[in-house]
Amino acid sequence: MRLIVLTVSTAFLAASVAVAAADLTGKEVFDRHCVHCHGPGNEATGTLQLARTRGEDKALLTERDDLPAAYIRMIVRQGLKAMPAFVPSDLTDAQLKALADYLTAE
Amino acid sequence: MAELLPPGVNAETMAETLERFRQIVGKEWVFTGEQVVSYHDPYPISNDDTRYKAHAAVAPSSTEQVQEIVKAANASGVPLWPVSRGKNFAYGGAAPVFSGSIVLDMSRMNRILEVNEKFGYALVEPGVSYFDLYNYLHAHGLKLWLDVPDPGWGSVLGNALDHGVGYTPYGDHFMMQCGMEVVLANGEVVRTGMGAMPGNNTWQLFKYGFGPYVDGIFSQSNFGIVTKMGIWLMPEPAGYRPYMITFEREEDIAEVIEILRPLRLNNVIQNAATIRSLVLDAAISSTKSQYYSGAGPIPDSVARKIMADQAIGMWNFCGALYGPPPIADALWTVIRDAFAKVPGARFYFPEDRKRRPDILIHRAETMRGIPKLTEFNFLNWAGGGGHIGFSPVSPTTGIDALKQYRMVSGRVREYGFDYMGLLAIGFRELHHVTVIVYDKTSADERQRLDKLFKLLVQEAAAEGYGEYRTHIQYMDAIAGTYKWNDNALMKMHQSIKDALDPKGILAPGKSGIWPKHLRDGRQP
Repeated sequence: MRLIVLTVSTAFLAASVAVAAADLTGKEVFDRHCVHCHGPGNEATGTLQLARTRGEDKALLTERDDLPAAYIRMIVRQGLKAMPAFVPSDLTDAQLKALADYLTAE
Repeated sequence: MAELLPPGVNAETMAETLERFRQIVGKEWVFTGEQVVSYHDPYPISNDDTRYKAHAAVAPSSTEQVQEIVKAANASGVPLWPVSRGKNFAYGGAAPVFSGSIVLDMSRMNRILEVNEKFGYALVEPGVSYFDLYNYLHAHGLKLWLDVPDPGWGSVLGNALDHGVGYTPYGDHFMMQCGMEVVLANGEVVRTGMGAMPGNNTWQLFKYGFGPYVDGIFSQSNFGIVTKMGIWLMPEPAGYRPYMITFEREEDIAEVIEILRPLRLNNVIQNAATIRSLVLDAAISSTKSQYYSGAGPIPDSVARKIMADQAIGMWNFCGALYGPPPIADALWTVIRDAFAKVPGARFYFPEDRKRRPDILIHRAETMRGIPKLTEFNFLNWAGGGGHIGFSPVSPTTGIDALKQYRMVSGRVREYGFDYMGLLAIGFRELHHVTVIVYDKTSADERQRLDKLFKLLVQEAAAEGYGEYRTHIQYMDAIAGTYKWNDNALMKMHQSIKDALDPKGILAPGKSGIWPKHLRDGRQP
């Protein structure tokens, strides 16, 4: 997420980032880092592969209730097969906790 | 595994350096121990667990912090491995060539400093991804298009520095780069081109400034750390029409390339279009096991079944028309008539494609600069998750394209892999990128891949073909093939390295360039 500071003319837009990591909600973390592969639709790599290997009912991470938070955190940090790991500078520990809480919420 | 230290750096010196880094960036932005796992190569090839492993990572948030980190590294002799976002996954990700290095992770330097709609450019820091810049343009309603590589989470700056390519008319990313800010190994900051002149307002408009043009020496190199870069953006065209032409036979590639060359040179084909092989395109929407359960590469009968099922060819040419409809109509007439001479050629627009996912529907977004990760589907073709690119450059001639195809596909299949090729069309050359998908969890398969890759490098070089980019494990091997006149180019690189970075703290081994104290036995 970016906090945009604008100096606007018709041709010029100046911007800078300034958002504390903890400011992102779990859903915002998912939408920023995960949705491209684990979202709905027919092109999402993770969703397609989970459907093939785990079954259609386990394809969408947001609809699963069998993933422990600790497992989610481990996979994000270590990767799994085609999925690479996410480094803690880009997806912080606080964001990862928010993400795991979001995906494990009832 | 014990934490690796670079040769010549003891544990005490490393600890003191990391403590200094914590003072510079804050303790929460220095990563050690288990946290470093995320910086490993996600698709390793070597079976030696001590290779390509970082000792730690440090994540600055500003150019000033990068300067202080470099000064501290110079004082202690601890090597740094700078990465923009570390998402260069087919080439090693964030992992260093030289084990024990500290990854200088610039993900947090993710400011979009300026977007100029009138002149069509952006000024960005290393941590800005294609998704970030696309979202910014979209959120502000700016009539500018990005040019994106296949993975949208990579760094705009980092991809250009690594000579990455995309698929719009702005597909050569380093060609579209204009103006840099660079931190040198002594901590000094340099601005290139017009940026060197105080008060100048053409830093992102004119590349060359006055005197030697130096931006190129900071690409694929270890001579400095680029902390800002200008990138030209394409004005939104008045019209856009993607298309695909399929060809039925492997040997058609020769005729197709001969037809294509004059069209590209004359800009009738306007974009960095691609010709993709059957399995690469099939892997976007299906897996090998859906068609074949045997060992080794798929047989021809299976290839024909896939072609029929998915309405794709042995080769698939994806291009697009950009501009007002009358211009697009005229260009399409020329393109269609030219390729209609190839027996069996079929022509498609997106509305002709009914299956989902579909290669043209997917490429239609990429060719208009929409960042995605769909291309990662091909990693699951055989189930093992790993991939590497072998990327020799070829003249745009049918003879060369067919020769390279036969050389590479023959070896790839001989070693038990499917041929997944992509010919990215430049103005006068092809990047022949062969993606080799492998089971990264199999030590045997990794060893087989390593043998194959080394053989491909040797055989390509023997025919005069050189790779434009490579994985960290093969940088020495590729650099060794650029050896004309007793390795004169590498000797020049070494002279520059020794002058700009005498202690050799920046990315030892990047592109085969080693600092003096690590050169023995590796280089001429």
